[in-house]
Amino acid sequence: MGWGRFALRRLAGTAVVVLLLSAGVFGLLYLAPGSVQQTLLGTRPATAETIAAIQARYHLGDPVTVQYLRWFGDVLRGDLGTSIRTGAPVSGMLADRVPLTLALTAYGTLLAALAGIPLGVLGALRRGRAADRLVVTAGVAGLSAPPFAVGLLLLVVFAGWLGWFPGYGTGEGLADQLWHLTLPAAALAVGAVGMLLRFSRAALVRELDQDYVVFARARGLAAPVVLGYALRNSLVPMLTAAGLVVTGMLAGTVLVEVVFALPGLGSLLVDSVTFKDVPVVQALALLLTLLIAAVNLLVDIGYALADPRVRLGGGAS
Amino acid sequence: MLRVEGLSVRQPATGRTLLSEVSFDVAPGESVAIVGESGSGKSLTARAVLGLLPAGLAASGLVEVGGRRVDDDPRAQRRQRGSTVSLLMQDPFTLLNPLRKAGKQIADGLPRGADPKTEVPRLLAEVGLPADVAGRYPFQLSGGMRQRVGLAAALAAAPRVLLADEPTTALDATTQREVLALIRRVQRERDMTFLLITHDLRLAFSMCDRVVVMYAGRVMEVGRAADLRREQRHPYTRALLAAEPPADRRLAAIPAVPGSVPAHDAVAGQCAFTDRCSLALAECRASVPPLRPAGDAGRLSACVRAGDLPAAPAPPLGVAAPVRTASEPVLDLRGLRKTFPGSARPALAGVSLTVAPGEIVAVVGESGSGKTTLARCVTGLERPDAGTILLGGRDCSDYARMSREAVRQARRTAQMIFQDPYSTLNPARTVGATLKEALVADGRPADVAALMELVGLDPALAALRPANLSGGERQRVAIARAVAGEPALLVCDEPVSALDVSVQAQVLGLLAGLRERLSTGMLFITHDLAVVRQLADRLYVLKAGECVESGPVDRVLDEPAHPYTRDLLASVPDGTSRWPG
Amino acid sequence: MKRTPISVWAALAVLAAVTAAAAFAPWLVPGATDQDLMTGITGPGPGHPLGTDDLGRDVLDLLIAGARTAVPGAFAVAAGSMLIGNLIGLTAGYFGGWADTLAMRWADLMFSLPALLVAIVVAGVLGGGYGLAIAVLVVLFAPTDTRVVRGAVLEQRHRPYIEAAVLKNLSAWRIMTRHIWPNIASVALANAFLNFAYALVSLSSLSFLGLGVAAGSPDWGRTLADNRTQLLANPWAVIAPGLAVIATAAALNIVGDWLHERVDRRGRAR
Repeated sequence: MGWGRFALRRLAGTAVVVLLLSAGVFGLLYLAPGSVQQTLLGTRPATAETIAAIQARYHLGDPVTVQYLRWFGDVLRGDLGTSIRTGAPVSGMLADRVPLTLALTAYGTLLAALAGIPLGVLGALRRGRAADRLVVTAGVAGLSAPPFAVGLLLLVVFAGWLGWFPGYGTGEGLADQLWHLTLPAAALAVGAVGMLLRFSRAALVRELDQDYVVFARARGLAAPVVLGYALRNSLVPMLTAAGLVVTGMLAGTVLVEVVFALPGLGSLLVDSVTFKDVPVVQALALLLTLLIAAVNLLVDIGYALADPRVRLGGGAS
Repeated sequence: MLRVEGLSVRQPATGRTLLSEVSFDVAPGESVAIVGESGSGKSLTARAVLGLLPAGLAASGLVEVGGRRVDDDPRAQRRQRGSTVSLLMQDPFTLLNPLRKAGKQIADGLPRGADPKTEVPRLLAEVGLPADVAGRYPFQLSGGMRQRVGLAAALAAAPRVLLADEPTTALDATTQREVLALIRRVQRERDMTFLLITHDLRLAFSMCDRVVVMYAGRVMEVGRAADLRREQRHPYTRALLAAEPPADRRLAAIPAVPGSVPAHDAVAGQCAFTDRCSLALAECRASVPPLRPAGDAGRLSACVRAGDLPAAPAPPLGVAAPVRTASEPVLDLRGLRKTFPGSARPALAGVSLTVAPGEIVAVVGESGSGKTTLARCVTGLERPDAGTILLGGRDCSDYARMSREAVRQARRTAQMIFQDPYSTLNPARTVGATLKEALVADGRPADVAALMELVGLDPALAALRPANLSGGERQRVAIARAVAGEPALLVCDEPVSALDVSVQAQVLGLLAGLRERLSTGMLFITHDLAVVRQLADRLYVLKAGECVESGPVDRVLDEPAHPYTRDLLASVPDGTSRWPG
Repeated sequence: MKRTPISVWAALAVLAAVTAAAAFAPWLVPGATDQDLMTGITGPGPGHPLGTDDLGRDVLDLLIAGARTAVPGAFAVAAGSMLIGNLIGLTAGYFGGWADTLAMRWADLMFSLPALLVAIVVAGVLGGGYGLAIAVLVVLFAPTDTRVVRGAVLEQRHRPYIEAAVLKNLSAWRIMTRHIWPNIASVALANAFLNFAYALVSLSSLSFLGLGVAAGSPDWGRTLADNRTQLLANPWAVIAPGLAVIATAAALNIVGDWLHERVDRRGRAR
């Protein structure tokens, strides 16, 4: 099959997904209770002027498909409309808040990967022993903990009782910002650690049971080489987990940003949802869709890198 | 070179014993086979020698490799793997790392300082592969090529002892012969000590100098291959050899061993074979008989009657296959074609055949010959692209276009039995429920007991679930389910190939009996020419979806016209050291 | 068969306690939501083992009453998505073809979206509410059941015992429900437990954001949200409901894992 066709097919698939979801995002306008016009007016008075402005912008008289196409065209030109709540352009609001959320997600992913994967490998290598049971228990606990609860518990313990970390705010300068983001990132990472740990442990346990591992040991390959074989083969399920972790973390940022009062995309989403600021919600939903699609595309490319059968179109066996 | 004494393997968590008091030795350069059916412990023995028992199992007893005791020293055992003793495993599709190129996998095992650039092509050449195989991934290679790569990898560190655990069981007959010939050549050229694990006594006779026969976790008999082939000093060895049907002549009846292979613990404290042995005495049950010298040099037997066993009956003579009068066929296939989507080659490229009532017609071929596709088309599990299927004179070429009533008719005319005894029955249902459902579906009175007796099963088993049955019993239940409505045609897809030899004969006998009693026609799909010789009236030889030869069994197998048929015949181990050539 | 591990017994005990609390809360703690503004927020003390919140409500009573809101909703999500997912998964896996392709594309798409995020957006735009949150989560969770069930069905679909049933001319419905489902039920059930746990976490998250239950209701997520500004006055008002969510979800996860492992072992022991 080769790289070119593979990349083309995956890109086309991603584009279809984004288009489908963008239609859903546009549909949010019609989902909101009350008429579209009311929704877009928000708390503004329904004067002839404001209604005309809305008409000019949204062409509510046109068929829905035409409205969608216009809206999508505006989006492609970078025009995301204006916030009902503040009247400011949505694109600017997003631009202000994207860096924080991305930094938080990246930080959280890093923490999760640094803790989750080594622990999963440790559990698989010590299968059935005390260390493994501990790892498995930690994994279950992590998976069961909602980020907001973890965040608050961390706040109570590390900011309240121990006072090691700041409780609120984003800090000034790189080091201080990292300092401030540590607790939120840790709150995000706890669930992700649980997931990464489970996937990597399960994948490695499965691979270590395979014939090729026994054969490799039987012909005298050194233990690190054998482990390398097994790790390489458990890469694909780990990539799946990594994808789920990153997309799940985008959802987690909403909760964590609220808990720690951080001005990111998540807290903006909650504020906009509460205020029924539909244009902002739409823009956020679209942005998150793009981010998720990008992550999934990266995971797909990762599969192809990790497994020659994917890119060379080999058989199942 | 290799010495095992009093080896036992237990599972501490459950207290089960899987292997006890296994002792044998192998001299430098000698080749020894360990032969046994499933559950005999032959593979565990090999694993224990390497110190690679599956998790949860613990070995005790003495293991000496190259004059050095290793059972108490895992580190020494690890150091010896590869350079002193190496293993070739059964399944070529799982033994290589799927994500690493063949050449790199071989290079991983080279001793320190060896240059992969010269060594890998040399090893590949030694196993008869071109050098460019090194750059390919396992999924780009055929089964036979993978097994050769496996051999090259096992040889990379130049071991002095090679263990091979059923190295060719997963391969086609003709490939099997090539790979075995290769292993023997390499073993002789390198003067390696060789330990072969196999279920096939004749293959063991052909490949090895001496043979160790195991049963239910114990050694039954040891002897030189030639001696053992001539005369067996243990009833089990004798039964095992007799149950393996010959390919060169038809027997009036295949001597079957009653019952099935027991677990080690089920026969603790007695001779493991007693319950199935026709020569058993009271003392066979009193204690476990030890291995004792019996007769010729180096011969050991664990039978208390080793010295006074009655002479083995003379090899039964061949009989002619009964001639059947031609009549209106129950199955008539004309020009059947099928190509699976995404496949370049047709699975069936125009096959025609007929089956008369009460006739057993064998379809023989290797994997990829289309024989299973043929069976599935006949029963409507697969839809042919072109061609006609007449079942009892009615057109059943396309089940999707037939009326409900016509489909029901067709289903009652043709039934099928499958290969794998472990998945042929619904694990969640009792035997009784499965058979009752079948009887009701076929519009028969729900007399489960009578149906079970028809296939030689104790009706008391009706309350059990499949997990509590042996492989042979499950296959009998599957046969009962298929014949519940006395179908005119029974399609048998490799029904005995997953069974132990001693059980296989029972099932073949049952099928032959059912043919007489119900005058069911059978389409018998198999890769095993010996089975064909025993059971079938006519046969068709399939290769790559085409029928290359057909005719009465005796004619085709005695005077094969097509070179491919001759190849297949030559691939059956004959038990002499001339084979595999 | 291995003995049932202690962790599973502990998990079952937690689930029993939570179920009892959910079932009998109105009788156990009839006055859980009664406000006592005179008392206000206090730390643990006599009469209030976990203290009170800023409305003077006893935290322990709220915790017990909260089970009645938090657990049945999550159960409804798990059960609803299990029903839908099993029906679609069975049908798609058994019949294959374009319906299967369509169902799987849909499931893949939904699976790649974080359920909580979609729930926040949809429930938020629609105006929130507990019933709505549950309905949205059912739709978002069903694809995981569908995938799991379809995978398990495909594993069984071409086994000889199913093909033998086809050859006996049994109806597709009978084969799906009487032959296939009993053999994959434990997988489906194990997955439902994992979904149950995740639904509990998601619903409490929605409540925490004010998109689930109404303000003032005794729900774990909601209680936590109501008291987070009073973190230092009585941390137990925050810690206790947080731990309740975690412990219940962990117990569900442990039971689900245990069910899964039993299936695995049985598969290997065949």
